[in-house]
Amino acid sequence: MSSYITPEILKGTRDFLPKDMAKRQTVMQKIKTVFERFGYDTIETPVIEYAKTLLGKYGEDNKLVYQFKDNGGREIALRYDQTVPFARLVASNYQNLPMPFKRYQISRVWRADKPAKGRYREFYQCDIDVIGTQSLVAEAEIARVMADVFQTLGFERFVIKFNSRRLMNSILGRFNVPPEKQIEVIRMLDKIDRIGEEGVTAGLKEILPLKTIPPLLKVLFFKGSITQKIASLKSYSTQEIEDFFRLCQEFGLDEKFLEFDMSLSRGLDYYTGITYEVFLPDVAIGAVCAGGRYDDLCGLFCKEKFSGVGVAFGFDRIMVAMEQLNLLNEIRLNAQVLVTYFDEATLPNAFKILTNLQKEAINAEIYFEPEKLSKQIKYADKKEIPFVVICGPDEIKKEEVTIKILKTGKQKTIPQTQLTSYFNGYVFS
Amino acid sequence: MKNNLKIAIQSKGRLKDDSLKFLRSLRLKFTVREKSLFISCTNFDLTILFLRNEDIPEYVGRGVADFGIVGENILAEKENELKVVQKLGFGTCFLVIAIPKLSNIKTPNDLEGGRIATSYPQTLTRYLRQNKISATVITLRGSVEIAPSLNLADAICDLTQTGTTLREQGLVPLTSLLQSEAILVESPFPKLQKDSFLSLL
Repeated sequence: MSSYITPEILKGTRDFLPKDMAKRQTVMQKIKTVFERFGYDTIETPVIEYAKTLLGKYGEDNKLVYQFKDNGGREIALRYDQTVPFARLVASNYQNLPMPFKRYQISRVWRADKPAKGRYREFYQCDIDVIGTQSLVAEAEIARVMADVFQTLGFERFVIKFNSRRLMNSILGRFNVPPEKQIEVIRMLDKIDRIGEEGVTAGLKEILPLKTIPPLLKVLFFKGSITQKIASLKSYSTQEIEDFFRLCQEFGLDEKFLEFDMSLSRGLDYYTGITYEVFLPDVAIGAVCAGGRYDDLCGLFCKEKFSGVGVAFGFDRIMVAMEQLNLLNEIRLNAQVLVTYFDEATLPNAFKILTNLQKEAINAEIYFEPEKLSKQIKYADKKEIPFVVICGPDEIKKEEVTIKILKTGKQKTIPQTQLTSYFNGYVFS
Repeated sequence: MKNNLKIAIQSKGRLKDDSLKFLRSLRLKFTVREKSLFISCTNFDLTILFLRNEDIPEYVGRGVADFGIVGENILAEKENELKVVQKLGFGTCFLVIAIPKLSNIKTPNDLEGGRIATSYPQTLTRYLRQNKISATVITLRGSVEIAPSLNLADAICDLTQTGTTLREQGLVPLTSLLQSEAILVESPFPKLQKDSFLSLL
């Protein structure tokens, strides 16, 4: 009787207890509601795929794909992100899908990574994409969705930073930066927040001729409003960024949530047009959402070309940020009412009360044993159930019911017929 | 009805007579007929619409009526952000929480966990949240004053001018949520002829 299995989980994976799950589900539901408000439907792909479907798509990170041989000796891989399975799904179903096709997807992915703070082996990804259109209205819509998500979650301050890959190419081309060096230059520009303009200048000296650097930085780090910035770049290809900004405004996006930032360098080798990243000025946690326009989603799976635009929300980071800003304080667990089990004789009446509450869509449960009242109340307290309903022989005789409000300890006796309306009208302050 | 200016006023109730008096004070001429839903002014391109109190913000908010005369209490309840042209100085009343004379409730905090009957659920809910009081709101369309004596509520939240009705039901005011008077409101949509009406004020 000594060899129990240690109840442990893998590093980089997590258990979530009811309170945490209530928070996560509330946040996830709010995000979904916004996606659905814009007409996005969801899809699901298998957790396991043929290894060949996933391998070779993630460059350096291929080694982080979880792989194994299944019982039949097949080479299997675990879902590493949602984009590659989405591309695979589109390649085999595009004839049946409405085009343009928009979908949201929230599911778990696995990475054989070394766990660190904020880096997990199992976590959720939360993506939206629109494919099959080149229209910048799609970019503007996604910007609106991002803004609506962060507003719906209760963030007062957030910034959607955007840039245009096309514009960057045009500027760097004009300064005679050869294509193979452009990525290096953009990576260096991205460090501006950490190392400042001097640091960037020093870094660029390694890549570019000295005399190019000051005029280039003058163009890129022009200070002013979005309109002024765009105006200062008139001699480059600003059409895309101009149209995007105009569409965002016409779409009702407040300019205070937008920032045109030419140091943004997200997914250089992947994105081809507008790119975006969302930051929360009140929480130092990095980007909480990012993405952009890409040219060819399904290139590896079929000859059809699908241009698209999409973003991924960093669900875990959003949770941390909301926790820090106290935006998750009011989340309640499921049961709102505990009906006490007074004794055998009154049990049928307790069941009746319970059923009536449930019929009115009030989440309620009954205690399983006729224990002392204090023990039943303790249970409610631990489960964060706000109300306990007590209906003993005295109350039954008078057709009354007593409600104990756990937050204050106050008791209130009312006619049994008013019980459901009491809870339905309750204002939690 | 042609596309002229329209002003919505109460079809019956405590603001009706004073609203008509106010319009006459602007030298508008019209004859009120019993039960008519709208009448036209004879000396100005304006139609007066007679509507239910609570519907007035709706009509003005959608631009169906260009102006409206309504109690501030209604505007607060509808949470309609209409532009207030001016306060009209009549129809003054208070939205109060009142309790039975012999109630255990002595301060607003004693309302915690209680039942409050009202025709103003939004305004009451806002008050409860602001004052961190949790309680049950029972929404009734009218005759709110009798709810405590029937054990439907522990308190009520209702309009009072002089307090007579409250006293008759054995109720006393506990606290006042807002003071209200009649106000002239304007629709958010532009219309050329609006200015000609505003210049009468």
